[in-house]
Amino acid sequence: MITANSDVKLRNKQISIYLVIGGVVIGAMMIFGILMLLAQGGVIDVPPAAFYQFLTIHGTGMVGAAALAAAAVMWYFLSKYVQLSLKVFKLNLVLFLIGVVMVIIGIFSFKFAGAWTFLYPLPALSGHAWGVAGALLYLGGMLILGVGFLLLYIDTGRAIIKKYGSLGKGLGWDVISGKKAEKDAPPPAVVASTMVTIVNTTALTAGATVIIMNMINVINPAFTFDPLLAKNLTYAFGHIFANSIIYMAVIAVYEILAEYTNRPWKSNRPFLIAWTMSTAFTLVIYTHHLLMDSVMPKWMLIMGQILSYANGIPVLVITAYGALMIVYKSGIKWDMASGLMYLSMFGWVVGVVPAIVDATIVVNHVMHNTKWVPGHFHMYMGLGALSMIFGFIYYLAKVDKGLRTKEIDNVGLVCYTLGIISVSAGFLMSGALSTPRRWATHFPEWMAPAVFGAFGGILAVLAVTIFVIYFIRYIMARGTTGSDLNEKKLA
Amino acid sequence: MIQTVAWVVSLIFMVLIALVFAVVAFKSKERREYEPIKKKWYKARTVYGTALVIVLLTLTIYTLRELPYNQPVYGAETEPTVVNVEAMQFAWKMSQTEFKVGEPVEFHVTSIDATHGFGIYDENMTMLAQTQAMPEYTNKVYITFDKPGTYEILCLEYCGLAHHLMIQKIEVTE
Repeated sequence: MITANSDVKLRNKQISIYLVIGGVVIGAMMIFGILMLLAQGGVIDVPPAAFYQFLTIHGTGMVGAAALAAAAVMWYFLSKYVQLSLKVFKLNLVLFLIGVVMVIIGIFSFKFAGAWTFLYPLPALSGHAWGVAGALLYLGGMLILGVGFLLLYIDTGRAIIKKYGSLGKGLGWDVISGKKAEKDAPPPAVVASTMVTIVNTTALTAGATVIIMNMINVINPAFTFDPLLAKNLTYAFGHIFANSIIYMAVIAVYEILAEYTNRPWKSNRPFLIAWTMSTAFTLVIYTHHLLMDSVMPKWMLIMGQILSYANGIPVLVITAYGALMIVYKSGIKWDMASGLMYLSMFGWVVGVVPAIVDATIVVNHVMHNTKWVPGHFHMYMGLGALSMIFGFIYYLAKVDKGLRTKEIDNVGLVCYTLGIISVSAGFLMSGALSTPRRWATHFPEWMAPAVFGAFGGILAVLAVTIFVIYFIRYIMARGTTGSDLNEKKLA
Repeated sequence: MIQTVAWVVSLIFMVLIALVFAVVAFKSKERREYEPIKKKWYKARTVYGTALVIVLLTLTIYTLRELPYNQPVYGAETEPTVVNVEAMQFAWKMSQTEFKVGEPVEFHVTSIDATHGFGIYDENMTMLAQTQAMPEYTNKVYITFDKPGTYEILCLEYCGLAHHLMIQKIEVTE
């Protein structure tokens, strides 16, 4: 556990590096998102090759940067309870940066545009749009990036097992079974970290497997493998890894809202059961990405729908409900951190609705791979997970350096909310109009929602710029005087 | 139309959720003891949780009654028209592109290179059905066109730089 002042400073320094990289990359990726929407809306002319490169960097960069920043959130809070390795944390960042450089070179210098889902055998069959070097740089970069994260989760798993005895105990199974009292249950930060450790080691192993198979196929096309297996592995990796971002970042909600309201948010039996459910469901519900592959075993597809529905229950009944309860008549002091945390819970819950709708097989039959899909994930990732991350940035700057916010930051919060809601609404409207996702150009009747979304995106970029400027102020304040409010109550 | 139902249902629930969050935020200005709040709202959660499970279960049962994977039951005299579809970068190769209204059609869809998506759109550019076009596998779409017109097949899985140009017209006549 991190207790000494010097350790706190070292931790916060490393955390702030993670967050500033995450924040800047997320802002940059938003610009690519806006360019794509403007191109689809017929406002600007982007050649298809460039469009699909933007698509590839946007997806890869968003998921990678958000995962990096969310890992920092998790690491910050988990380090209060278990002894984590700062060296592994630093190594992950180094591998992340190496991976990112390779991905960027692969995309922009060698024209790789296989999307972040790199669906086999697309990396090897580009129709002469990109070559072996581009595919290998991209896939190799993803592999290195994944290895960094895998090492990080092996370390969190090690630390949790060392302190609590096993990952099962980290999830509080001994409390669920009644062997241990609720008061001795692991704190929410440990429970959530255990869940993420379990699901992401699985996801990254699946991801590494399919990436390596793709790389061999790119080098030697005579080596082939089952496309359906590849697709299962790809979505097992992509779905779990992307969703784990929110499960890492939500730790900030548990900790920060409890601190601000001066009301405890402790693990009780329903909470622990909910997280065990989330662990199990997150591992298996990726099959809802394959609902339109009728060659899949039918029972897997039906389970894909049923478990996707069930996966909404832990958040709707436990986490979001808990957030509402803890805030209700609490006299909470609203500021950027608490405001963004609350917004994030709204974003997550509201995004669950169109996600559940899309996981319904008969709906998916006419909405799969339309813009309905980015519609729902921009809600729970953009308004949900990213608000948690930005809120945490404001929290950290406040507790670490007592940095005050300005009126412009509040403007940023409003712009961000309106911006991401507009982006998501634009996508959902497009989805309802049957507009396919990942199309470089649109028919005229599909253009208006894309333009609407682009303006929302511009608002969101303005907001993120404000957030990042605040965070740069924090970085500059580090090393000068510190108010060290780390232990001080904020309510 | 399923898309409209999905949109309206989502909109209703999303507005409802927004209202709940707005009310709680408004009420957050007051300050009350937490224990009585917990006691009251934990009880309410049991009701809410149970209701949610019942609603989701009902929806599951209702929506799983008819699945697009199942071959329709044809009449004794009716033989479906089987259409072999091969997707390739960046075109569709189809064994037949002209159909009659009321004629049951089965599209047997595969790919000779990357994975594509086979989406059938009507004249209003509303999607009617889809499946994935994957190498080494054959997915099936069952459809009976009920209106004459020019329909379009659009690629719905990103397959390379000309993905958005993979459009094939099909004609349905009386």
